[in-house]
Amino acid sequence: MVRGPETFRGYPRPSGRPGIRNHLLVLNATGLTDAAARRIAGALPSTVFAGTMFGMGMVGRDAELHLAALSGLAVHPNCGAVLLIGADRTRLDQLIAVLDRDGRPYAALGLDEVGHDAHLLSQRSLALGAGLLRRLSAQQPQDCPLIDLLLACECGLSDPSSGLAANPLLGRVADWLVDAGGSVMLGESIEWLGTEEELARRAATPELGRALKQAVRRRLDLAHAAGLDLLGTNPNAANIKAGLSTIEEKASGAVQKAGTRPIRSLLAYAETPATPGLHFMDAPSYSPESLTGFVAAGAQMILFTTGLGNSYCSALAPTLKLSANAATAGALGRQIDFDASGLLAGRTMDDMAARLIEEIAATAAGQLTYGEIMGEGGEAISRFGEAI
Amino acid sequence: MTPIAHTVGADDMVAYLLADVAAGAEISLQGAATGAVTAQDAISVFHKIALRPIRAGETVWRGGWPIGRATADIAAGAHVHTHNLVSAHATTSGHGRHRGGGTCAHP
Repeated sequence: MVRGPETFRGYPRPSGRPGIRNHLLVLNATGLTDAAARRIAGALPSTVFAGTMFGMGMVGRDAELHLAALSGLAVHPNCGAVLLIGADRTRLDQLIAVLDRDGRPYAALGLDEVGHDAHLLSQRSLALGAGLLRRLSAQQPQDCPLIDLLLACECGLSDPSSGLAANPLLGRVADWLVDAGGSVMLGESIEWLGTEEELARRAATPELGRALKQAVRRRLDLAHAAGLDLLGTNPNAANIKAGLSTIEEKASGAVQKAGTRPIRSLLAYAETPATPGLHFMDAPSYSPESLTGFVAAGAQMILFTTGLGNSYCSALAPTLKLSANAATAGALGRQIDFDASGLLAGRTMDDMAARLIEEIAATAAGQLTYGEIMGEGGEAISRFGEAI
Repeated sequence: MTPIAHTVGADDMVAYLLADVAAGAEISLQGAATGAVTAQDAISVFHKIALRPIRAGETVWRGGWPIGRATADIAAGAHVHTHNLVSAHATTSGHGRHRGGGTCAHP
Protein backbone atom coordinates (compact mmCIF):
# COMPACT_ATOMS: atom_id res chain seq x y z
CA MET A 1 0.00 0.00 0.00
CA VAL A 2 1.54 3.27 -1.14
CA ARG A 3 0.62 6.54 0.51
CA GLY A 4 0.85 9.97 -1.03
CA PRO A 5 -0.50 13.50 -0.70
CA GLU A 6 -4.21 14.19 -1.18
CA THR A 7 -3.71 17.42 -3.11
CA PHE A 8 -1.26 18.98 -5.53
CA ARG A 9 -0.30 22.59 -6.26
CA GLY A 10 -2.08 23.87 -9.33
CA TYR A 11 -3.11 27.07 -11.11
CA PRO A 12 -6.90 27.08 -11.52
CA ARG A 13 -8.16 27.60 -15.10
CA PRO A 14 -11.51 28.94 -16.30
CA SER A 15 -12.26 25.50 -17.72
CA GLY A 16 -10.58 22.12 -17.56
CA ARG A 17 -7.87 20.92 -15.22
CA PRO A 18 -5.61 23.21 -13.18
CA GLY A 19 -2.02 23.62 -14.37
CA ILE A 20 1.20 22.72 -12.60
CA ARG A 21 2.99 25.45 -14.57
CA ASN A 22 1.86 28.91 -15.59
CA HIS A 23 3.40 29.38 -18.99
CA LEU A 24 2.64 31.80 -21.74
CA LEU A 25 2.13 29.52 -24.74
CA VAL A 26 3.05 30.86 -28.16
CA LEU A 27 0.92 28.60 -30.33
CA ASN A 28 1.77 28.56 -34.02
CA ALA A 29 -1.37 27.64 -35.95
CA THR A 30 0.08 27.38 -39.48
CA GLY A 31 3.32 26.08 -40.96
CA LEU A 32 3.94 29.33 -42.82
CA THR A 33 4.47 31.21 -39.57
CA ASP A 34 6.54 28.57 -37.78
CA ALA A 35 9.82 30.51 -37.90
CA ALA A 36 8.17 33.80 -36.99
CA ALA A 37 6.34 32.24 -34.05
CA ARG A 38 9.55 30.60 -32.77
CA ARG A 39 11.30 33.98 -33.01
CA ILE A 40 8.50 35.61 -31.01
CA ALA A 41 8.55 32.86 -28.35
CA GLY A 42 12.33 33.16 -28.07
CA ALA A 43 12.09 36.87 -27.37
CA LEU A 44 9.52 36.59 -24.57
CA PRO A 45 10.61 35.29 -21.13
CA SER A 46 8.92 32.30 -19.43
CA THR A 47 7.33 31.29 -22.68
CA VAL A 48 6.89 27.89 -24.31
CA PHE A 49 6.42 27.25 -27.99
CA ALA A 50 4.19 24.68 -29.66
CA GLY A 51 2.40 24.41 -32.94
CA THR A 52 2.36 22.83 -36.35
CA MET A 53 4.47 22.79 -39.51
CA PHE A 54 1.33 22.14 -41.56
CA GLY A 55 -1.72 24.05 -42.66
CA MET A 56 -4.11 23.99 -45.56
CA GLY A 57 -4.59 20.81 -47.55
CA MET A 58 -5.14 18.39 -44.70
CA VAL A 59 -8.36 16.46 -45.19
CA GLY A 60 -10.72 14.11 -43.39
CA ARG A 61 -9.60 12.48 -40.17
CA ASP A 62 -6.12 13.97 -40.52
CA ALA A 63 -7.59 17.50 -40.57
CA GLU A 64 -9.96 16.70 -37.69
CA LEU A 65 -7.28 15.25 -35.43
CA HIS A 66 -4.84 18.04 -36.25
CA LEU A 67 -7.38 20.68 -35.23
CA ALA A 68 -8.29 18.66 -32.13
CA ALA A 69 -4.62 18.51 -31.14
CA LEU A 70 -4.05 22.24 -31.74
CA SER A 71 -7.20 23.00 -29.74
CA GLY A 72 -6.00 20.77 -26.92
CA LEU A 73 -2.63 22.52 -26.83
CA ALA A 74 -4.36 25.94 -26.82
CA VAL A 75 -6.24 25.13 -23.60
CA HIS A 76 -3.55 22.98 -21.99
CA PRO A 77 -3.67 23.22 -18.18
CA ASN A 78 -0.07 24.45 -17.95
CA CYS A 79 -0.81 27.50 -20.12
CA GLY A 80 -1.91 30.57 -18.20
CA ALA A 81 -2.28 32.57 -21.38
CA VAL A 82 -1.96 31.97 -25.10
CA LEU A 83 -0.48 34.02 -27.92
CA LEU A 84 -1.84 32.63 -31.19
CA ILE A 85 0.18 33.20 -34.34
CA GLY A 86 -0.92 32.16 -37.82
CA ALA A 87 -0.85 33.01 -41.47
CA ASP A 88 -4.54 32.89 -42.22
CA ARG A 89 -7.54 34.05 -40.30
CA THR A 90 -9.52 30.83 -40.92
CA ARG A 91 -7.27 28.70 -38.74
CA LEU A 92 -6.92 31.43 -36.13
CA ASP A 93 -10.70 31.80 -35.91
CA GLN A 94 -11.13 28.08 -35.23
CA LEU A 95 -8.72 28.30 -32.29
CA ILE A 96 -10.09 31.63 -31.09
CA ALA A 97 -13.50 29.95 -30.79
CA VAL A 98 -11.91 27.28 -28.56
CA LEU A 99 -10.21 29.91 -26.38
CA ASP A 100 -13.37 32.02 -26.15
CA ARG A 101 -15.31 28.98 -24.88
CA ASP A 102 -12.49 28.31 -22.39
CA GLY A 103 -12.08 31.83 -21.08
CA ARG A 104 -8.35 32.08 -20.41
CA PRO A 105 -6.42 35.19 -21.53
CA TYR A 106 -5.24 35.12 -25.13
CA ALA A 107 -4.22 37.32 -28.03
CA ALA A 108 -4.13 36.36 -31.72
CA LEU A 109 -2.36 37.87 -34.66
CA GLY A 110 -2.39 36.78 -38.29
CA LEU A 111 0.19 37.55 -40.94
CA ASP A 112 -2.64 38.81 -43.14
CA GLU A 113 -3.52 41.38 -40.48
CA VAL A 114 -0.08 43.01 -40.70
CA GLY A 115 0.15 43.26 -44.48
CA HIS A 116 2.05 39.95 -44.69
CA ASP A 117 5.01 41.69 -43.03
CA ALA A 118 6.81 39.15 -40.82
CA HIS A 119 8.84 41.95 -39.17
CA LEU A 120 5.68 43.70 -38.13
CA LEU A 121 4.19 40.39 -36.97
CA SER A 122 7.14 39.92 -34.57
CA GLN A 123 7.03 43.49 -33.32
CA ARG A 124 3.32 43.56 -32.58
CA SER A 125 3.34 40.08 -31.10
CA LEU A 126 5.98 41.04 -28.56
CA ALA A 127 3.72 43.79 -27.25
CA LEU A 128 0.74 41.42 -27.12
CA GLY A 129 2.90 38.81 -25.34
CA ALA A 130 4.13 41.35 -22.79
CA GLY A 131 0.54 42.15 -21.86
CA LEU A 132 -0.30 38.47 -21.43
CA LEU A 133 2.81 37.78 -19.35
CA ARG A 134 1.85 40.59 -16.98
CA ARG A 135 -1.66 39.18 -16.59
CA LEU A 136 -0.57 35.62 -15.91
CA SER A 137 2.11 36.73 -13.44
CA ALA A 138 -0.72 37.77 -11.10
CA GLN A 139 -2.14 34.22 -11.00
CA GLN A 140 -1.46 32.13 -7.88
CA PRO A 141 -1.39 28.34 -7.42
CA GLN A 142 -3.60 26.67 -4.83
CA ASP A 143 -4.16 23.19 -3.42
CA CYS A 144 -6.14 21.11 -5.92
CA PRO A 145 -7.71 17.66 -5.45
CA LEU A 146 -6.04 14.67 -7.09
CA ILE A 147 -9.17 14.12 -9.21
CA ASP A 148 -7.82 17.03 -11.29
CA LEU A 149 -4.44 15.38 -11.94
CA LEU A 150 -3.82 13.56 -15.24
CA LEU A 151 -0.45 11.84 -15.60
CA ALA A 152 0.73 10.19 -18.80
CA CYS A 153 3.19 7.29 -18.85
CA GLU A 154 5.70 6.73 -21.65
CA CYS A 155 8.81 4.65 -22.25
CA GLY A 156 11.56 5.35 -24.74
CA LEU A 157 14.85 3.74 -25.69
CA SER A 158 13.93 0.88 -23.44
CA ASP A 159 16.16 -1.91 -22.26
CA PRO A 160 15.19 -4.88 -20.10
CA SER A 161 15.54 -2.75 -16.93
CA SER A 162 12.50 -0.79 -18.15
CA GLY A 163 10.18 -3.79 -18.13
CA LEU A 164 11.75 -5.37 -15.06
CA ALA A 165 11.69 -2.36 -12.76
CA ALA A 166 11.02 1.17 -14.08
CA ASN A 167 7.72 0.39 -15.80
CA PRO A 168 6.34 -1.69 -12.90
CA LEU A 169 7.24 1.30 -10.68
CA LEU A 170 5.08 3.56 -12.88
CA GLY A 171 2.37 0.93 -12.63
CA ARG A 172 2.48 1.11 -8.85
CA VAL A 173 2.22 4.90 -8.96
CA ALA A 174 -0.59 4.65 -11.54
CA ASP A 175 -2.53 2.37 -9.16
CA TRP A 176 -2.00 4.89 -6.35
CA LEU A 177 -3.26 7.83 -8.42
CA VAL A 178 -6.25 5.92 -9.82
CA ASP A 179 -7.22 4.76 -6.31
CA ALA A 180 -6.88 8.36 -5.10
CA GLY A 181 -9.35 9.55 -7.76
CA GLY A 182 -6.92 10.85 -10.38
CA SER A 183 -6.29 9.84 -13.98
CA VAL A 184 -3.53 8.04 -15.86
CA MET A 185 -2.95 7.67 -19.60
CA LEU A 186 -0.92 5.19 -21.59
CA GLY A 187 -0.36 5.16 -25.37
CA GLU A 188 2.00 3.52 -27.88
CA SER A 189 -0.61 1.00 -29.14
CA ILE A 190 1.86 -1.31 -30.87
CA GLU A 191 3.43 -1.94 -27.49
CA TRP A 192 0.27 -3.60 -26.22
CA LEU A 193 1.00 -6.44 -28.65
CA GLY A 194 0.84 -9.84 -27.01
CA THR A 195 -0.91 -8.45 -23.93
CA GLU A 196 -4.26 -7.72 -25.61
CA GLU A 197 -6.17 -10.57 -23.99
CA GLU A 198 -5.11 -9.48 -20.51
CA LEU A 199 -5.86 -5.83 -21.30
CA ALA A 200 -9.26 -6.82 -22.70
CA ARG A 201 -10.04 -8.62 -19.44
CA ARG A 202 -9.25 -5.41 -17.57
CA ALA A 203 -11.46 -3.29 -19.86
CA ALA A 204 -14.53 -1.75 -18.24
CA THR A 205 -16.81 -3.28 -20.91
CA PRO A 206 -16.53 -6.17 -23.41
CA GLU A 207 -16.93 -3.64 -26.22
CA LEU A 208 -13.91 -1.70 -24.95
CA GLY A 209 -11.95 -4.94 -24.71
CA ARG A 210 -12.67 -5.65 -28.37
CA ALA A 211 -11.68 -2.08 -29.30
CA LEU A 212 -8.32 -2.44 -27.51
CA LYS A 213 -7.59 -5.66 -29.39
CA GLN A 214 -8.62 -4.08 -32.71
CA ALA A 215 -6.33 -1.09 -32.06
CA VAL A 216 -3.31 -3.37 -31.69
CA ARG A 217 -4.34 -5.45 -34.70
CA ARG A 218 -4.61 -2.30 -36.82
CA ARG A 219 -1.05 -1.19 -35.93
CA LEU A 220 0.29 -4.65 -36.69
CA ASP A 221 -1.54 -4.70 -40.04
CA LEU A 222 -0.10 -1.24 -40.77
CA ALA A 223 3.43 -2.59 -40.23
CA HIS A 224 2.82 -5.70 -42.31
CA ALA A 225 1.13 -3.73 -45.11
CA ALA A 226 4.24 -1.55 -45.28
CA GLY A 227 6.34 -4.68 -45.76
CA LEU A 228 7.83 -4.35 -42.30
CA ASP A 229 8.49 -7.17 -39.95
CA LEU A 230 8.39 -5.64 -36.49
CA LEU A 231 11.66 -7.37 -35.78
CA GLY A 232 14.30 -4.69 -36.39
CA THR A 233 11.77 -1.88 -36.18
CA ASN A 234 10.27 -2.48 -32.79
CA PRO A 235 12.28 -3.48 -30.87
CA ASN A 236 14.77 -1.30 -32.73
CA ALA A 237 18.51 -1.91 -33.09
CA ALA A 238 19.35 -0.12 -29.84
CA ASN A 239 16.68 -2.05 -27.91
CA ILE A 240 18.03 -5.32 -29.32
CA LYS A 241 21.66 -4.50 -28.52
CA ALA A 242 20.53 -3.74 -24.96
CA GLY A 243 18.97 -7.20 -24.66
CA LEU A 244 15.33 -6.96 -25.78
CA SER A 245 14.69 -9.76 -28.28
CA THR A 246 11.07 -9.44 -29.43
CA ILE A 247 8.13 -7.05 -29.51
CA GLU A 248 6.26 -9.32 -27.06
CA GLU A 249 9.11 -9.06 -24.58
CA LYS A 250 9.25 -5.29 -24.95
CA ALA A 251 5.45 -4.90 -24.91
CA SER A 252 4.85 -7.08 -21.85
CA GLY A 253 7.40 -4.87 -20.07
CA ALA A 254 5.90 -1.67 -21.47
CA VAL A 255 2.31 -2.31 -20.33
CA GLN A 256 3.54 -2.69 -16.76
CA LYS A 257 3.28 1.12 -16.73
CA ALA A 258 -0.50 0.71 -16.70
CA GLY A 259 -0.59 -0.89 -13.25
CA THR A 260 -3.47 -3.20 -12.46
CA ARG A 261 -6.67 -1.13 -12.34
CA PRO A 262 -9.60 -1.35 -14.79
CA ILE A 263 -9.22 0.36 -18.17
CA ARG A 264 -11.93 3.01 -18.57
CA SER A 265 -11.67 4.01 -22.22
CA LEU A 266 -9.78 3.86 -25.48
CA LEU A 267 -9.01 7.43 -26.48
CA ALA A 268 -8.39 8.79 -29.97
CA TYR A 269 -5.20 10.79 -30.51
CA ALA A 270 -5.34 13.98 -28.38
CA GLU A 271 -8.73 13.03 -26.89
CA THR A 272 -9.33 14.09 -23.28
CA PRO A 273 -10.52 11.32 -20.92
CA ALA A 274 -14.15 11.88 -19.90
CA THR A 275 -13.83 10.19 -16.50
CA PRO A 276 -11.10 9.67 -13.89
CA GLY A 277 -9.20 6.39 -13.89
CA LEU A 278 -6.93 4.56 -16.30
CA HIS A 279 -7.17 5.29 -20.03
CA PHE A 280 -5.41 3.99 -23.14
CA MET A 281 -4.75 6.23 -26.15
CA ASP A 282 -4.53 4.62 -29.59
CA ALA A 283 -1.45 6.43 -30.87
CA PRO A 284 1.94 6.05 -32.52
CA SER A 285 4.85 5.05 -30.30
CA TYR A 286 7.53 7.47 -31.46
CA SER A 287 8.10 9.74 -28.44
CA PRO A 288 7.54 13.24 -29.93
CA GLU A 289 4.13 12.52 -31.47
CA SER A 290 3.17 10.19 -28.62
CA LEU A 291 3.84 12.79 -25.90
CA THR A 292 1.99 15.50 -27.82
CA GLY A 293 -1.05 13.21 -28.02
CA PHE A 294 -1.05 13.03 -24.22
CA VAL A 295 -0.38 16.74 -23.80
CA ALA A 296 -3.13 17.79 -26.22
CA ALA A 297 -5.43 15.55 -24.16
CA GLY A 298 -4.53 17.60 -21.09
CA ALA A 299 -1.83 15.61 -19.27
CA GLN A 300 -0.11 18.00 -16.86
CA MET A 301 2.97 15.82 -16.38
CA ILE A 302 4.68 12.92 -18.16
CA LEU A 303 6.40 10.04 -16.38
CA PHE A 304 8.94 8.74 -18.89
CA THR A 305 11.04 5.63 -18.30
CA THR A 306 14.17 4.91 -20.29
CA GLY A 307 16.75 2.19 -20.32
CA LEU A 308 19.50 3.86 -22.31
CA GLY A 309 18.64 7.56 -22.01
CA ASN A 310 16.04 8.95 -24.42
CA SER A 311 16.30 12.71 -23.72
CA TYR A 312 13.06 13.84 -25.38
CA CYS A 313 10.55 15.82 -23.31
CA SER A 314 7.26 17.59 -23.81
CA ALA A 315 7.48 21.37 -24.01
CA LEU A 316 4.23 21.91 -22.12
CA ALA A 317 4.14 19.07 -19.62
CA PRO A 318 7.14 18.62 -17.29
CA THR A 319 8.58 15.24 -18.24
CA LEU A 320 10.11 13.25 -15.38
CA LYS A 321 12.77 10.93 -16.73
CA LEU A 322 13.31 7.69 -14.82
CA SER A 323 15.72 4.85 -15.30
CA ALA A 324 16.26 1.58 -13.47
CA ASN A 325 19.53 1.02 -15.35
CA ALA A 326 22.19 2.04 -12.82
CA ALA A 327 24.77 2.72 -15.55
CA THR A 328 22.37 5.06 -17.38
CA ALA A 329 21.22 6.85 -14.24
CA GLY A 330 24.86 7.31 -13.24
CA ALA A 331 26.17 8.45 -16.62
CA LEU A 332 23.21 10.77 -17.29
CA GLY A 333 22.84 12.19 -13.80
CA ARG A 334 21.80 15.62 -15.08
CA GLN A 335 19.28 14.24 -17.55
CA ILE A 336 17.62 11.41 -15.63
CA ASP A 337 15.46 12.96 -12.91
CA PHE A 338 14.82 9.80 -10.90
CA ASP A 339 17.15 6.86 -10.33
CA ALA A 340 15.04 3.72 -9.88
CA SER A 341 17.95 1.27 -10.14
CA GLY A 342 17.66 0.43 -6.44
CA LEU A 343 14.69 -1.75 -7.44
CA LEU A 344 17.15 -4.26 -8.94
CA ALA A 345 19.39 -4.03 -5.86
CA GLY A 346 16.98 -4.88 -3.08
CA ARG A 347 14.83 -1.76 -2.63
CA THR A 348 11.13 -2.55 -2.37
CA MET A 349 8.60 -1.37 -4.92
CA ASP A 350 6.47 0.37 -2.25
CA ASP A 351 9.49 2.24 -0.91
CA MET A 352 10.54 3.40 -4.38
CA ALA A 353 6.93 4.30 -5.31
CA ALA A 354 6.63 6.47 -2.19
CA ARG A 355 9.82 8.30 -3.21
CA LEU A 356 8.58 8.77 -6.76
CA ILE A 357 5.25 10.17 -5.53
CA GLU A 358 7.21 12.71 -3.46
CA GLU A 359 9.14 13.63 -6.61
CA ILE A 360 5.89 14.02 -8.57
CA ALA A 361 4.46 16.28 -5.86
CA ALA A 362 7.64 18.39 -5.80
CA THR A 363 7.59 18.67 -9.59
CA ALA A 364 3.94 19.70 -9.54
CA ALA A 365 4.82 22.34 -6.93
CA GLY A 366 7.40 23.87 -9.25
CA GLN A 367 10.64 21.85 -8.97
CA LEU A 368 12.12 21.83 -12.46
CA THR A 369 12.89 18.65 -14.37
CA TYR A 370 16.27 18.49 -16.10
CA GLY A 371 14.40 18.62 -19.40
CA GLU A 372 12.84 21.95 -18.38
CA ILE A 373 16.21 23.29 -17.25
CA MET A 374 17.81 22.32 -20.56
CA GLY A 375 14.84 23.52 -22.61
CA GLU A 376 14.73 20.05 -24.13
CA GLY A 377 11.00 20.02 -24.79
CA GLY A 378 9.08 20.00 -28.03
CA GLU A 379 5.62 19.24 -29.37
CA ALA A 380 4.91 17.36 -32.60
CA ILE A 381 1.35 16.74 -33.74
CA SER A 382 1.02 13.39 -35.51
CA ARG A 383 -0.24 13.11 -39.09
CA PHE A 384 -2.78 10.58 -40.26
CA GLY A 385 -2.76 10.89 -44.04
CA GLU A 386 -1.65 12.73 -47.13
CA ALA A 387 -2.52 16.35 -47.79
CA ILE A 388 -3.83 17.96 -50.95
CA MET B 1 31.13 -11.26 -6.04
CA THR B 2 28.75 -13.75 -7.63
CA PRO B 3 26.96 -12.30 -10.64
CA ILE B 4 23.20 -12.03 -10.22
CA ALA B 5 20.34 -12.62 -12.63
CA HIS B 6 16.89 -11.18 -12.00
CA THR B 7 13.68 -13.21 -12.35
CA VAL B 8 10.13 -11.87 -12.64
CA GLY B 9 8.04 -15.03 -12.11
CA ALA B 10 8.76 -18.20 -10.16
CA ASP B 11 8.28 -20.35 -13.29
CA ASP B 12 10.29 -18.14 -15.68
CA MET B 13 12.30 -19.90 -18.39
CA VAL B 14 14.84 -17.04 -18.58
CA ALA B 15 16.52 -14.63 -16.17
CA TYR B 16 18.13 -11.21 -16.82
CA LEU B 17 21.82 -10.75 -16.02
CA LEU B 18 22.58 -7.68 -13.87
CA ALA B 19 26.25 -7.65 -14.99
CA ASP B 20 28.32 -8.90 -17.92
CA VAL B 21 29.35 -12.53 -17.35
CA ALA B 22 31.90 -14.86 -18.95
CA ALA B 23 31.13 -18.41 -20.03
CA GLY B 24 31.45 -20.74 -17.06
CA ALA B 25 30.37 -18.13 -14.51
CA GLU B 26 28.18 -19.29 -11.63
CA ILE B 27 25.15 -17.03 -11.42
CA SER B 28 22.75 -16.71 -8.51
CA LEU B 29 19.12 -15.79 -9.07
CA GLN B 30 17.18 -13.00 -7.36
CA GLY B 31 13.55 -11.98 -7.62
CA ALA B 32 10.66 -14.43 -7.84
CA ALA B 33 12.92 -17.46 -8.39
CA THR B 34 15.96 -18.48 -6.41
CA GLY B 35 18.84 -20.86 -7.06
CA ALA B 36 21.84 -20.79 -9.37
CA VAL B 37 22.75 -21.43 -12.99
CA THR B 38 26.06 -21.77 -14.86
CA ALA B 39 26.51 -19.54 -17.90
CA GLN B 40 27.29 -21.52 -21.07
CA ASP B 41 28.09 -18.35 -23.04
CA ALA B 42 29.50 -14.89 -22.38
CA ILE B 43 26.37 -12.81 -21.77
CA SER B 44 26.01 -9.01 -21.56
CA VAL B 45 24.29 -7.12 -18.80
CA PHE B 46 20.45 -7.22 -19.05
CA HIS B 47 20.58 -10.01 -21.63
CA LYS B 48 18.77 -13.27 -20.92
CA ILE B 49 20.06 -16.63 -19.73
CA ALA B 50 18.05 -19.86 -20.08
CA LEU B 51 17.11 -21.36 -16.73
CA ARG B 52 16.29 -24.78 -18.20
CA PRO B 53 16.65 -26.56 -21.54
CA ILE B 54 14.24 -25.10 -24.12
CA ARG B 55 13.23 -27.07 -27.24
CA ALA B 56 13.12 -25.53 -30.71
CA GLY B 57 9.56 -24.33 -31.34
CA GLU B 58 8.75 -23.96 -27.66
CA THR B 59 7.17 -20.71 -26.45
CA VAL B 60 9.40 -18.91 -23.97
CA TRP B 61 7.65 -17.42 -20.92
CA ARG B 62 8.77 -14.65 -18.58
CA GLY B 63 6.64 -13.14 -15.80
CA GLY B 64 3.52 -14.89 -17.05
CA TRP B 65 3.92 -13.52 -20.59
CA PRO B 66 5.06 -15.29 -23.76
CA ILE B 67 8.08 -13.39 -25.10
CA GLY B 68 8.64 -15.38 -28.31
CA ARG B 69 9.34 -18.79 -29.79
CA ALA B 70 12.65 -20.65 -29.66
CA THR B 71 14.13 -21.18 -33.14
CA ALA B 72 16.72 -23.71 -31.93
CA ASP B 73 17.25 -26.02 -28.98
CA ILE B 74 18.61 -23.90 -26.13
CA ALA B 75 20.67 -25.39 -23.29
CA ALA B 76 20.23 -24.31 -19.68
CA GLY B 77 22.71 -21.47 -19.09
CA ALA B 78 22.82 -20.41 -22.74
CA HIS B 79 22.32 -16.85 -23.98
CA VAL B 80 18.72 -16.32 -25.19
CA HIS B 81 18.36 -13.56 -27.76
CA THR B 82 17.52 -12.88 -31.40
CA HIS B 83 19.77 -15.74 -32.61
CA ASN B 84 17.48 -18.33 -30.96
CA LEU B 85 14.28 -16.46 -30.08
CA VAL B 86 11.81 -14.90 -32.51
CA SER B 87 8.57 -12.98 -32.18
CA ALA B 88 5.40 -14.95 -32.80
CA HIS B 89 4.42 -11.90 -34.86
CA ALA B 90 7.46 -12.03 -37.14
CA THR B 91 6.46 -12.72 -40.74
CA THR B 92 7.51 -16.28 -41.46
CA SER B 93 8.10 -16.08 -45.20
CA GLY B 94 11.12 -13.88 -44.78
CA HIS B 95 9.57 -11.68 -47.48
CA GLY B 96 9.76 -8.08 -46.42
CA ARG B 97 11.66 -8.80 -43.26
CA HIS B 98 13.51 -5.73 -42.12
CA ARG B 99 13.03 -4.09 -45.49
CA GLY B 100 13.34 -0.33 -45.66
CA GLY B 101 13.32 0.61 -42.04
CA GLY B 102 11.74 3.89 -43.02
CA THR B 103 9.45 4.02 -40.03
CA CYS B 104 11.53 4.34 -36.93
CA ALA B 105 9.28 3.29 -34.06
CA HIS B 106 10.79 4.30 -30.75
CA PRO B 107 12.90 5.87 -29.28
